[in-house]
Amino acid sequence: MAELQTSGIFAPGVIEDIQAKAESGLYSIRGFGTLRERRWATFDDLTFLPCSLTRIPLEGYREKCSTKTVLGTRFAKKPIELDIPIMITGMSWGALSFNAKVALAKGAASAGSSNTTGDGGMLRAERDNSRTLIYEVLPSRYGINIHHMREADAIELTIGQGAKPGTGGLLLGSKVSDRIAEQRDLPIGVDQRSPARHPDFLGPDDMIIKVEELREATDWQVPIFIKMGASRVYDDVKLAAKAGADVIVVDGMEGGTGASPAIFQEHTGIPTLAAVCEARLALEDIGLYGEVQLIISGGIRDGVDAAKAMALGADACYIGTASLIALNCNKPIYEDDYRAIGAAPHACHHCHTGRCPVGITTQDPELMNRLDIDQGAERVRNLLRAMTLEIQMLARSCGKSNIHHLEPEDLAALTLDASAVCGIPLAGTRKVFGK
Amino acid sequence: MLNPAARHNLAVAILHGVHIRIAGSAGYYCGGLGDGASIEIEGSAGWGLAESMLSGTVVVHGNAGSGAAAALRNGSVIVHGDAAARLGVSMKGGEVIVAGNCGYMAGFMAQKGTLIVCGDAGDAFADSMYATVCYVGGKIASLGTDAVLSALDPAEIERLEASLSAHLPPAVRRSKPAAADFKKVIAGRKLWNFDKREWRTWQEAL
Ligand SMILES: Cc1cc2nc3c(=O)[nH]c(=O)nc-3n(C[C@H](O)[C@H](O)[C@H](O)COP(=O)(O)O)c2cc1C
Ligand code: SF4
Repeated sequence: MAELQTSGIFAPGVIEDIQAKAESGLYSIRGFGTLRERRWATFDDLTFLPCSLTRIPLEGYREKCSTKTVLGTRFAKKPIELDIPIMITGMSWGALSFNAKVALAKGAASAGSSNTTGDGGMLRAERDNSRTLIYEVLPSRYGINIHHMREADAIELTIGQGAKPGTGGLLLGSKVSDRIAEQRDLPIGVDQRSPARHPDFLGPDDMIIKVEELREATDWQVPIFIKMGASRVYDDVKLAAKAGADVIVVDGMEGGTGASPAIFQEHTGIPTLAAVCEARLALEDIGLYGEVQLIISGGIRDGVDAAKAMALGADACYIGTASLIALNCNKPIYEDDYRAIGAAPHACHHCHTGRCPVGITTQDPELMNRLDIDQGAERVRNLLRAMTLEIQMLARSCGKSNIHHLEPEDLAALTLDASAVCGIPLAGTRKVFGK
Repeated sequence: MLNPAARHNLAVAILHGVHIRIAGSAGYYCGGLGDGASIEIEGSAGWGLAESMLSGTVVVHGNAGSGAAAALRNGSVIVHGDAAARLGVSMKGGEVIVAGNCGYMAGFMAQKGTLIVCGDAGDAFADSMYATVCYVGGKIASLGTDAVLSALDPAEIERLEASLSAHLPPAVRRSKPAAADFKKVIAGRKLWNFDKREWRTWQEAL
């Protein structure tokens, strides 16, 4: 019998979505990040052009290739110095379990990198296990504490995130345990939706004063980062630089999340590849490229993505989801518990439920104990190291003794789209398309 | 502090129990991110007065700009004049007293603590709050989403009176309504306790 045809428009997933809305009258919320097939230009649409005769490579496995990464050289008295360019992004204690937060801090520290607090303030154990800790100041200001801020190595003023630009954070009641409620000054068990705007400034002009306040509060010592979801990146980056940022973080539409409306993850913001290109151009156009450092995030999976982002202009990359995967996210263990929340290993995006089978995005002590802090830290360290080795290998093959010397000329585009977005010649032609 | 010239970021992140008197007006974020100081502003204050303060007291003799006491965690913020929009937005504790009127969206997403406005309150008052308790002596232009009026009990009236008398100069206090005549506004608690089984409640609160 011929196979029955389903609709390309009203595909099975669309039918389910419409019927779920018809039943509840509500939009759908989930975690993880965009799930749809990427039809836009991505890092996969670029390839490196290693040396052959026109350039000479460095010895692939041995020759020195520096990975040292310095951020915040513009105004801060104490820029942060990292051994590697891959950093752990801000993920809140609340979205993440205590064990996950501490494992990330320990893992990052042992790899010579940094980790970041999140939309819920700082954990003492997080600070104690970090080498370099970045303190996020978010619109919600949950757990905001000047003493914690003054212990931080950098401050990140967050305007938005790639997974949900233009809207606030979300923590469903199942994760607002007594400890989380206390930390965030909330009643236990309520659904918490963070504001989308900061409570004490609205636009780029008053943000200048806010940045100055943060500097004043930290004695002008530590770098001030400004993080944004990627939307009008070219203009937003210029405004953030004008506001006095030392470092700008641009989080592309592929960015992960603990929970947000599904439509935001799928239909808002611009891709990470496009974002890094716009951000670099913006800084070049105002003469601040190199002076203001750029961190890129959103769907960075490995050293290859990171190396490409760096060749296009990033000084460092943040990883979120990849670091959770290192902690066993989506691993085929505890399979019954995946099924219980309607998920399966490799197809879980159910962080919002608070019933994470592997103990990462949960506040349930029993589930959390499935994540051993030391073993988790070791896996995070290994991932960070392996990613750095991948970047170094690519950099050496391109003849670079420092990964920060990677440049657009080290890349060729594999698709017309990538050529147009990145301003890089299409492989096999000498042409930049769309110019 | 003499000749403050309404500069921004005055007395930010003061972490000691000192007393600072600002002889004039201050700009944005005066007393912001503090812990323990007592700050007195003889003139008016700009946006974000005492934002995210952990403890201490900030008194403004004049008016306060938008977002006064935003994200306040504890301590007291007292404004003898009026406060502009978004007073006490996202406040997480402490006590805010405004002797005059306040602008729109005061108490937006406020989480804990007490917000007292002796005069009139602007539109969308106490919108989308969690557990902050608000008292208004004058008229409320409109209540925000999920904000409801509630009765004051005698103990509460006494506490409110004690607070007002303690923090406002006697002449100012005398010119304001009696504590028993204040309206109390709290969250209807329909917005945030969303449970899929009770979706209709939540949907209607939106
Ligand atoms: C579980 C989880 C929790 C998050 N919590 C926060 C947060 O508290 N603050 C924030 O700015 N971003 C948060 N994010 C977004 C990340 O900081 C980052 O922008 C994003 O994860 C980068 O994309 P990636 O996950 O693909 O690496 C969170 C992401 C995840 C996966
Ligand atoms: S395994 Fe846990 S962290 Fe990973 S997607 Fe599922 S719920 Fe989220």
